[in-house]
Amino acid sequence: MPDATAALARLSEVARDPRRYVDQWRVDHPGQKVVGVLPMNFPREIAHAAGTLPVVVQDDQIPVTEGRSLLAEFYCGYTRNLADQAATGRFDSYDAIFMADHCIQLIGAADVVRALLPDTPVFFGMLNSSMNDSWAPRRVAEMMAEFRTEFASFTGHQVGEADLRTSIEAHNRDRRLLRSLFDERSTGSTAFTPGQLQDLVTSSMVMDPVEHHALLRDAASAAPAAPRDDRVRVHLSGHLCHAPKRELLEAIEDSGAIVVDDDLFHGRRYVSTDVDETGDPLDALARWYSQRNVTIPCPTRVQQDADWDVYLVDAVRRSGAEAVIHLLPKFCEPHMLYYPELRKGLEAAGIPQLQLETEHEGMPLESFRTRIEALVERTLRKRPVPA
Amino acid sequence: MQTIEDRSNRLSVTRAGGQLITNYWDDLFTAREQGKQIVWYNGGALNPIFQAAGLAWCHGEAFAARLAAQQLEGPAQLAGAEYGYNAELCSYSRTHLGCSVLTLQGTDGSQNGVVGLNDQKELAARLPAPDFFVNNYAGCSTGQQWDGISYRVFGKQLPIFNISHPFLWGNKPDSGYLTGAEWEDASRFVAEQLRELISFIEAQTGRPFDYDALSESMTYIKRAAELRREGLDLCKAKPAPATFWDWIACVAPINFLPGDQALVDYFGSVRDEIKGRLDAGISGVKDEKYRLYFDGIMNWNKLGFLSRKFAEHGAAVLCGRYIHNAFWQEPHLIDTEDPLLGMAQHYLLCPTNHGTKTLDYLTLRDCEEYDVDGIVFHSTRTCRAFTGPQRLLARSAQQKLGIPSIFFEGDVADASFYKDEILESRLVAMLETIDVQRERGGRLAGART
Repeated sequence: MPDATAALARLSEVARDPRRYVDQWRVDHPGQKVVGVLPMNFPREIAHAAGTLPVVVQDDQIPVTEGRSLLAEFYCGYTRNLADQAATGRFDSYDAIFMADHCIQLIGAADVVRALLPDTPVFFGMLNSSMNDSWAPRRVAEMMAEFRTEFASFTGHQVGEADLRTSIEAHNRDRRLLRSLFDERSTGSTAFTPGQLQDLVTSSMVMDPVEHHALLRDAASAAPAAPRDDRVRVHLSGHLCHAPKRELLEAIEDSGAIVVDDDLFHGRRYVSTDVDETGDPLDALARWYSQRNVTIPCPTRVQQDADWDVYLVDAVRRSGAEAVIHLLPKFCEPHMLYYPELRKGLEAAGIPQLQLETEHEGMPLESFRTRIEALVERTLRKRPVPA
Repeated sequence: MQTIEDRSNRLSVTRAGGQLITNYWDDLFTAREQGKQIVWYNGGALNPIFQAAGLAWCHGEAFAARLAAQQLEGPAQLAGAEYGYNAELCSYSRTHLGCSVLTLQGTDGSQNGVVGLNDQKELAARLPAPDFFVNNYAGCSTGQQWDGISYRVFGKQLPIFNISHPFLWGNKPDSGYLTGAEWEDASRFVAEQLRELISFIEAQTGRPFDYDALSESMTYIKRAAELRREGLDLCKAKPAPATFWDWIACVAPINFLPGDQALVDYFGSVRDEIKGRLDAGISGVKDEKYRLYFDGIMNWNKLGFLSRKFAEHGAAVLCGRYIHNAFWQEPHLIDTEDPLLGMAQHYLLCPTNHGTKTLDYLTLRDCEEYDVDGIVFHSTRTCRAFTGPQRLLARSAQQKLGIPSIFFEGDVADASFYKDEILESRLVAMLETIDVQRERGGRLAGART
């Protein structure tokens, strides 16, 4: 009988302290390298197939000190935190950094890492972010091949096709199981709280996928049946690149709401799409990159025929959510640009909504609570009154 | 009340440039009546292609900058805010998107909540609606998303074409400014896209593209760019005959005016006035005492104000990334017979499209060539692209050249972020530091003592 409690506790432990996991992994895998991966689209599979441990670098919640002198205060909290991690030795966990996303703030943070840690390779291979360009599929496939070449150079050995296939299968297996938990939540199960689900996803960004899957299977297999109660059903939207604070997730559910679905990066967005296991694996990874922006459109990509607003309304309909809470990290320009489109779409569909702007340091929790409660009240008034 | 002497001595010829710009905008405002198709674009200067295709063109940033320079940005920004754009969003984009909202509403829109600003609103809304969009943004990721959103604001009804620019990060050992496999690959890639753009434009206009007209236009632009560089080089003299602020006043002509003889004549006049000043011993700042570098996009609301403020302290601002490393700054790359590759390369040379390693090289190079005493960083509140490397550049200038620097906060098109007392106190402090260095016979630290 698997010990679900212990498995869940272990996954939460890794999610909340990735460095300790990395340190132990190094002890268990002498000679193997650990790479820091910057969100949101770097193909972790290639790094894993190369025999490294790819770790999506997390916002580590520690207040920014030295990082303040390296990036402007109007950079998003996550990128300022990355600069601070680099300046205070917290990037020592990584032998190299890899990134694929064209976000100018993320590039700023990567430049700080490169300047402060000259012995740590920082590789940026830009994945075409305008998805409708006729040349996008070719360029993306070429970049996937370049990633493989870079890893061969970095590790000193080729990344074989069989290794790539094995890694893709392992990641797919883990994603599928995680996704099933989100699907169960959206159809009525509350076996896992939003904070627990976040831990499950975060730990999958940090751990070896095989090890993670084994623990996740144990944690999921013994989850008790837990139907929804009568709280107001909400969809959480946004919060790209890094996770919202757990205290905020708790405050939402303490204020008369229950989270039934999300499109957070540390949520459904991260596990939304599998890689095709047939055909050339690099081509499959290129198609995966393209497909995940169709599965859940992202404001950091430009795609005329993929609409985040339309997705959001459809997702709300599917899960039975009654309201949407937008979680917008302060200074996140793609989200700020797209927000009016989301607002218009939800308004047209008659779905109540609330925007909460989050920051790395501090959180006006009581103010948030009041606003969430107001949303709950407003939404309750829309419920049909029993005859 | 004490009257402060205006010690700035701006070039007189830039007034002629101002007239060229006014004529251009007036022409654009009536383009629809003239039967022209109108393209809205952002990023690198595609205007020679549009000119050759017989289109009227509107550069989004340029229009936002124009509104800000005329203190007329308020209604567009209010309309954008009411539509939902956050004040921390790039002020170029939210001003321009606000214009989109006003343009769609027409000048009699009564639902925007903007009260008592009708005249200004009318100007913001005078922008004729586009027939299609082209995005040509390098460096800043927001640029591409901005046009993606404009496309949505206009109801997803208009054609849009995007050009993707690889960021010049410098991954390879041979990577460098204008050199290396990364540069060569990116150049070819963008040039290929320009050919695709021309096919797209042919489909929009229903006419074959006039390559001869493009060559002609680029011949004028190349010559204007050469004259601009000559003028810039003349400003290395001590005292400098013209300043950064004069070159800021020349941004619009080089960035989006038609490539024609008038453009060449204008930059010829700029170069000649500077040369004449050199010969006559006339300086851009009365009693030049300090020579400074300015890093950041211009705070368009404050052009005249800042030129007087720095001059008041005897500080000649001479060079800056926005001037020296932008706007057809490497004219030798342009082959006028076959200009697309050289054009592509200039789009890639956007000053926000380099990793800090290259920017470090360019900044220190210019600081040395202009014998700069200090750097002023415009910490441009809503422009993360320009501000990203600034702290690293400041550290490098101090460590490698012993050049001190200050930061002040402002913005490209939102005056509310500008804090005059902060700039004043920090500027005075830096100038005093420079005085101390001089008294001690050199710089406080660094290699160049």
